[in-house]
Amino acid sequence: MAADMRLPSIRKAVSLLDSAFDRKDLVVPGDVITSDTGFMRGHGTYVDEEKLTASVAGEVQRVDKLICVRPLKTRFNGEVGDVIVGRITEVQQKRWKVETNSRLDSVLLLSAVNLPGGELRRRSAEDELTMREYLQEGDLISAEVQSVFSDGALSLHTRSLKYGKLGQGVLVQLSPSLIKRQKTHFHNLPCGASIILGNNGFVWLYPTPGQQDEEAGGFYTSLEPVSLADREVISRLRNCLLALAAHKVLLYDTSVLYCYESSVQHQVKDILKPEVMEEIVMLTQQKLLEQEG
Amino acid sequence: MATVQVSEAEKVYILHGIRDDLRVDGRGCEDYRHMEIETDVVSNTDGSAKVTLGHTAVLVGIKAEIGKPRPMVPKEGYLEFFVDCSANATPEFEGRGGEELGTELSNTLYKVFNNKKSVDLRSLCISAGEHCWVLYVDVLLLQCDGNLYDAISIAIKAALFNTKIPRVHISSDDEGGKEIELSDDPYDCMRLNVENVPCIVTLCKVGHRYVVDATLQEKACSVASLIISVTHKGTVTCMRKVGGGSLDPESVYEMTEAGKRVGKTLHAPLMKLLQEEESLGTKRQKVGFLG
Amino acid sequence: MGNVVQSEARGAVRFSSVEVCGNMAGLELLSDQGYRLDGRKATELRKVQARMGVFAQADGSAYLEQGNTKALAVVYGPHEMRGSRSRTRHDQAVINCQYSMATFSTAERKRRPHGDRKSTEMSLHLKQTFEAAVMTQLYPRSQIDIYVKILQSDGGNYSVCVNAATLAVIDAGIPMRDYVCACTVGFVDETPLADLCYAEESGGVSSLALALLPRGGQIALLQMDARLHQDHLETLIEAAMTACKGVSKVLDEVVRQHLQESSVLSGE
Repeated sequence: MAADMRLPSIRKAVSLLDSAFDRKDLVVPGDVITSDTGFMRGHGTYVDEEKLTASVAGEVQRVDKLICVRPLKTRFNGEVGDVIVGRITEVQQKRWKVETNSRLDSVLLLSAVNLPGGELRRRSAEDELTMREYLQEGDLISAEVQSVFSDGALSLHTRSLKYGKLGQGVLVQLSPSLIKRQKTHFHNLPCGASIILGNNGFVWLYPTPGQQDEEAGGFYTSLEPVSLADREVISRLRNCLLALAAHKVLLYDTSVLYCYESSVQHQVKDILKPEVMEEIVMLTQQKLLEQEG
Repeated sequence: MATVQVSEAEKVYILHGIRDDLRVDGRGCEDYRHMEIETDVVSNTDGSAKVTLGHTAVLVGIKAEIGKPRPMVPKEGYLEFFVDCSANATPEFEGRGGEELGTELSNTLYKVFNNKKSVDLRSLCISAGEHCWVLYVDVLLLQCDGNLYDAISIAIKAALFNTKIPRVHISSDDEGGKEIELSDDPYDCMRLNVENVPCIVTLCKVGHRYVVDATLQEKACSVASLIISVTHKGTVTCMRKVGGGSLDPESVYEMTEAGKRVGKTLHAPLMKLLQEEESLGTKRQKVGFLG
Repeated sequence: MGNVVQSEARGAVRFSSVEVCGNMAGLELLSDQGYRLDGRKATELRKVQARMGVFAQADGSAYLEQGNTKALAVVYGPHEMRGSRSRTRHDQAVINCQYSMATFSTAERKRRPHGDRKSTEMSLHLKQTFEAAVMTQLYPRSQIDIYVKILQSDGGNYSVCVNAATLAVIDAGIPMRDYVCACTVGFVDETPLADLCYAEESGGVSSLALALLPRGGQIALLQMDARLHQDHLETLIEAAMTACKGVSKVLDEVVRQHLQESSVLSGE
């Protein structure tokens, strides 16, 4: 029973990297990036009088001839193959609508999920009627982006054992630009919990499953109580993610783990106090730097 | 009201966590989130305060105006409440979307604060039956992340503490009429005694237990909640059940006890903080929204 | 593109009567030495302070104060259309604005924060301003909400709202052609005054509000509610554009500062 009250203070950025300041690759809307016409126009840019101009504030990225500006914070711009965590918002005929932090709701077609009873099963009219039994409004899923419609809406699929309905755990909603792109976004962390770092900024923390059995096509979720020890790990990870996000540290398995290790001397509920956040983020950055040598 | 969707499995997870006294963010059942309080943030009010609790943010501005006392209580001034659930907090509140919640909140606040046990209403009287101070307490909801009542009540207490009402001098003219003159000196002002102003504690019943300072996710799992206003002495001044579900008498009793316990502990740190802020005087670095 | 020119003459009658009052109160809007009521020079702007990313729950947010006028802007979206789908545009995003004032924001307490004719008009103007600047064609079938709240009002509310909303839109990462900067200017004794405060606005100055996309010099909104000789219009617009460019410099600094402080620390 405690209420932690205080006066607000001006927050300052914590950074060990002096290079974070005076960066030349940062642009604001209206800045001309190049007047060389040999470049291709990517996201966050437009062409004005033959000059490639930024339309968002962020960092310039060049891949070959393609120039993009990546804003600090934005809605999820999905690409084929991205791993996402999303929430079902609507059950329609033959498809589910999924909230994925994109600019339009994403779509999960009935034909893009594995139904119980094997992959080769035919979808019948009955399946359309029982869609709500598989996934209903409010349910969380992990999925992969299958294609992008012309208006920018995403089409998802869960045709792999690793995707599907999510059971007990905690969802943390962060900015998509904080998630580092990696080979895998599913990690069983050595501290005793698992994490799905969705490309869309939704992060799912859950107790590491005992054995990989899931024969029900991923629609069965255990409602058995999670042990207290697992809960504490998950809560600590949750607060660590929020601390890292508050200080704009890129999220991937190593940074999350280092932050977890840096936080162990504090109680879980204290991690979100500003000074504790600063301290553990600082420690995390130190560790990350050391590891790189 | 700002609501979030929670899946069945998430609900079970939250429910079990509360049963084990370890909530999703690591708090125990009777812990509050981190709270930041600042007063005197809007300069054209007579008193103001900004409170953030987790992501919930409220701004309270108090304006004192001269009005006519209510006929039933000629020797007292009174308070008026208005809660603006602005679209800034959530798009659901756009247009008239926030009005229902705003009315519910302001009615409760009126019951809790506008009585002479909470605020010394007699000190607001200027001349009995003719003139009194009316304090317009305007609450602006900026972000909604659960537990609005508690955050608002703390902000109101802080804003009342901060309120400076100009002194008035009443002089009689030749014909026996009274003339009210406001003091021009900004330091010549009256302060309110906020010692007995209560704080509201909201207890959400989740499963068989109850939690204070529920987040939106926890609120979504709760059947009903009880709001209790408690003074620094631990006296309960107002109580009401809110939400769609029902509560059994035993749990109401239990929750009242818990609310008293928790509510009592809110006052001391709050007063200490307000006095500390006051003692800094002009040296205080104003943060406001620039922090 | 989306330029809206509105000039209304209905203020003309009121204008002259207020001017008389102003003179009676002995208020001199511009002294012989060239100073204004609050000690500024004719072309001087008020102090602007701002911060981006004030709130975590919104897609973008910003707080901006210009002198004693303070505004909070919040942006949600782009997201799926809410409510009636009939407003959906298949080729571009719909911009939805709501302007409101805190009940305690004015010297005299307001009864309602929004919904009166003035704030509905203001919401419409904001919408038009941002339709001219935001690249809505990139987000077909979506909606972008821009909500602005005046916390404290001391003149130039429209301009301060536009400036705050610009920062919030940038914070949300929504593509814009350029900043939109706005400023209110007035005309007294043959001299244009930049960035009017409330005392000047109500003191009988013929004022003009202008929103500018500074780099291209495009006007996104122009509004003039009072009577002015046509010969002076060009001077006044010129002065307004200069003032807007001044504002854009300040906003630019705020955005760059914000970018440097919060660009993602990859640890690489």
